[in-house]
Amino acid sequence: MPVTLLGLTFLIFFFTSFLSPYQLVSAYVTSPRELQAGNVDKIIEKYGLNQNFIFRYGRWIDGLVHGNFGWSLSLNEPVSKVLEQRFPATIELTIYAIIPVIFIGIWLGVVAASHHNGVIDQVLRVVALLGYSVPAFVLGLLLLFILYGVLGWLPPGRMDQWAQMIYYAKSFHHYTGIATLDALLNGRIWVFLDILKHLIDPVLTLSFLSIAGLLRITRSSMLESLGQDYIRTARAKGLSERVVVNKHAKRNALIPATTVAGLMFIGMLGGVIITETIFNYPGIGSFAAQAAEQFDYAGVLGVAVVFGIVTVIGNLIVDISYAIIDPRVRVG
Amino acid sequence: MKKALAILMAVLLVGAFIGMAQVSNPNTMIEETIGTIATLDPAWGYDTASGEAMWQVYDNLIQYDGPSIKKFLPMLSTNVPSAKDGTILDNGKTYIFHIRQGVYFHNGDILTPEDVVYSFERTLIFDRAGGPSWMLAEPMLPMINGAYVDSIEQWATKLAGVKSYSDLFIKGTRTPKNAKYKQALIDTFKLVSKVFEIKGNDVIIHLPHPYPPLLFILAHGANWGAIIDKKWAVANGAWPGTADTWWKYHNPTREKDPLYSIMNGTGPFVLERWTKGREIVFKRFDEYWAGPAKIEYAVIKRINEFTTRKLDLVRGNADMIYVPIQYINQVKGIKGIDVTPGKGFPTLTIINMFFNWTIASKGNPYIGSGKLDGNGIPPDFFANLDVRKAFEYLFPYKAFIDQVNLGHAITPNGAIPKGMLGYNPKVPPTYHQDLAKAAEYFKKAYNGELWKKGFKFTIVYNSGNTQRQTACEMVRAFARKINPKFIVNVKSELWASFLDDYLAGKLPMFSLGWLADYPDPYDFAQPYYSSTGAYGSTLGAAYVKWAKVHMDPLVNASMKTTDPQKRAAIYEKLNVLAYDNALFLWLDQPYAVHVQRSWVKGWYYNAMRPGVDFYSLSK
Repeated sequence: MPVTLLGLTFLIFFFTSFLSPYQLVSAYVTSPRELQAGNVDKIIEKYGLNQNFIFRYGRWIDGLVHGNFGWSLSLNEPVSKVLEQRFPATIELTIYAIIPVIFIGIWLGVVAASHHNGVIDQVLRVVALLGYSVPAFVLGLLLLFILYGVLGWLPPGRMDQWAQMIYYAKSFHHYTGIATLDALLNGRIWVFLDILKHLIDPVLTLSFLSIAGLLRITRSSMLESLGQDYIRTARAKGLSERVVVNKHAKRNALIPATTVAGLMFIGMLGGVIITETIFNYPGIGSFAAQAAEQFDYAGVLGVAVVFGIVTVIGNLIVDISYAIIDPRVRVG
Repeated sequence: MKKALAILMAVLLVGAFIGMAQVSNPNTMIEETIGTIATLDPAWGYDTASGEAMWQVYDNLIQYDGPSIKKFLPMLSTNVPSAKDGTILDNGKTYIFHIRQGVYFHNGDILTPEDVVYSFERTLIFDRAGGPSWMLAEPMLPMINGAYVDSIEQWATKLAGVKSYSDLFIKGTRTPKNAKYKQALIDTFKLVSKVFEIKGNDVIIHLPHPYPPLLFILAHGANWGAIIDKKWAVANGAWPGTADTWWKYHNPTREKDPLYSIMNGTGPFVLERWTKGREIVFKRFDEYWAGPAKIEYAVIKRINEFTTRKLDLVRGNADMIYVPIQYINQVKGIKGIDVTPGKGFPTLTIINMFFNWTIASKGNPYIGSGKLDGNGIPPDFFANLDVRKAFEYLFPYKAFIDQVNLGHAITPNGAIPKGMLGYNPKVPPTYHQDLAKAAEYFKKAYNGELWKKGFKFTIVYNSGNTQRQTACEMVRAFARKINPKFIVNVKSELWASFLDDYLAGKLPMFSLGWLADYPDPYDFAQPYYSSTGAYGSTLGAAYVKWAKVHMDPLVNASMKTTDPQKRAAIYEKLNVLAYDNALFLWLDQPYAVHVQRSWVKGWYYNAMRPGVDFYSLSK
């Protein structure tokens, strides 16, 4: 993992080496009036923008080792603090999004396979196709427009103003940074419900595409299982179709689906950038977008490191869980 | 079942609309905008978003009288200095402020004259590169060789006899190399400290030279003139106010500025919390010397997406939002939403196109062959008056205002914006599109060679700015219309690349703008016209040489007198010179547009106010 991360961060830093000090200084200068009287050279010198990239990279790595990710120019605070504040919000969103993906995706996949080529199967295939075809930003904006603009039900953001007053009050303890959990732990049920309300739209947007993906994978996996000899044997034994599907076929079909679901969770973390931006959700995704927009390379690097760590750990968990689910992997 | 669902939907919809009509959050005023607050430190901030946050918390010595940008009212000073009552003396070199008594900072400390002096001195020594300290340095530090001093570093290097400020210190440290340099630094501070005198409850400012815009620079809205609590600032790690340490607190990096995320002012609101990049929340300060605000909470949210802001406004979850001019029709005509017509509110902003008189030709892809051969332009292309005049007559000014600004702007006739001293709508006239005249000047240029051979170059704009993009496209279209051999390519660049090319002097023609630092014409005349101005100095050696002779004497003369009539005449003359010599292609001076819920009361426009004055608002 360290080698992967080192390679990743080196690559990003390497790209910045193509930028001139004047280009790098643009992150510090937002208006021409800041350029008066040779200020540019002073800024370049102050922030060491004319130093070679190996030196800057070494300095950044040194900071990283000491828990210092650098200074975010887009949010004006240490990157580590930004990540600490925003990562739990993104994890919260992703956890809420993966739950319907697993349950609905697998269930629909099983239903589709059980009704192979029937009306339900055809309808679900169209749904899956839609899920693949509709971009997140289109779905997100549609949901925002209908569920908030027209009906006024589901506002964007993380919580309403009144809930924020409670959530950020000194008496409110932020145990985990996961707002719903913290609200429950503080015994603030209305705050919990308000946060939940704000999660519906982004969760729907984020999970729709993944549900479609899992549906297709579960369906084909189920179809493959249903065609196996042991299923024919089970049916020949006179077992009911429900038992055949649920007890025999589904268990085997779930192996690839579970693996994919794990990878989807990781993928979702990367996919939150658009969703969080549309719904003004204060997670790591919206920070990544803002950092990229404002040339905040310390911010971008910080996000890349976090995504890198999550991806590596996530893959490791998937590999381990795969071995647990499928004994053949262990034997192999 | 269907009937029940239909009833349920109807009830929900009615509920939604009733919700829209009710005043949301009656004690809280929410503004949604796009600016990112960079800092809460008055000595650092030089952007509108930070300025708006500081406006709510910090007071200055004086303030503008409501919407006026010419009249003042007292604030932390109980008087507005004037020559009439003897509080401006020595031909505009001495200003006397009577400091208000019984004023509390948010932490309970009482305002003293020492706080006032400390605040100004701190801004002067803080002097971050690219920051606003130059506005205090120019009037308060003595000139060097007849020129204003923009940074305390200039005096330190002069007194120490070194070439650059960094030469004073051991490399990589803030320790002076020797006793001589240390003494020079201390002597530099003496120049600062002698500007201020405390006499009883008065603060007296002794300027080394008259500086007509001084009161504008100190007025509320100018965060660099905001008054902070010395005791609190020092306790939090800011400069302790001593002469022999100031350089340790000079030009810090953002992360080393101790006041960047905390506030303690005397203003009507107390900082409740700042969630960086998202929102800032202020709570009413009940002990405010002018009486508490009508609302309890003021919230400024950063929401980048216009759709989200609009929906929040429609749903009543925002009380006012920022609406880019291209979307203004989307919020007009919605019940419960007021769109304040902009025509009465000119912003103090000038947007224009620049001609680079001496384009850097080395490795420059924007000037083609670099010759007058139909495949490029020579580096001095825009030093030619006929060429510049041709471009002036080529541009469709009216169409630009009507189509791009949707009528919410005027065409400027010079660098001095409407609403400011020296602006005369009739003198000089504005250029208007006249393709015949444009063709005439093109034919005249280079003795007809240009017309015969044509030209090719690239105009660059910073990506995302659709107004500037359209202006560039308009130049391209009409140049080609006049002569098919006139090829203007249009290229968008990210701000980083744009800045790189701009600083390298590679851009032949480009668009930028200027927003007032303070409402005095010098703030526009100097950057645009002067050979040392922020823009003037970047328009090539030929422009610098020309401006030194023709513009600099006038720009300098405008600051030598405090007589408004004499100054106005000088600025008018500068504008006429700019017109006659087709120095800039003036695009627009936009009008301010304000969009709010109808339930918001008390909003007024002041061109120098950064954002909203929550103190004046109620629901």
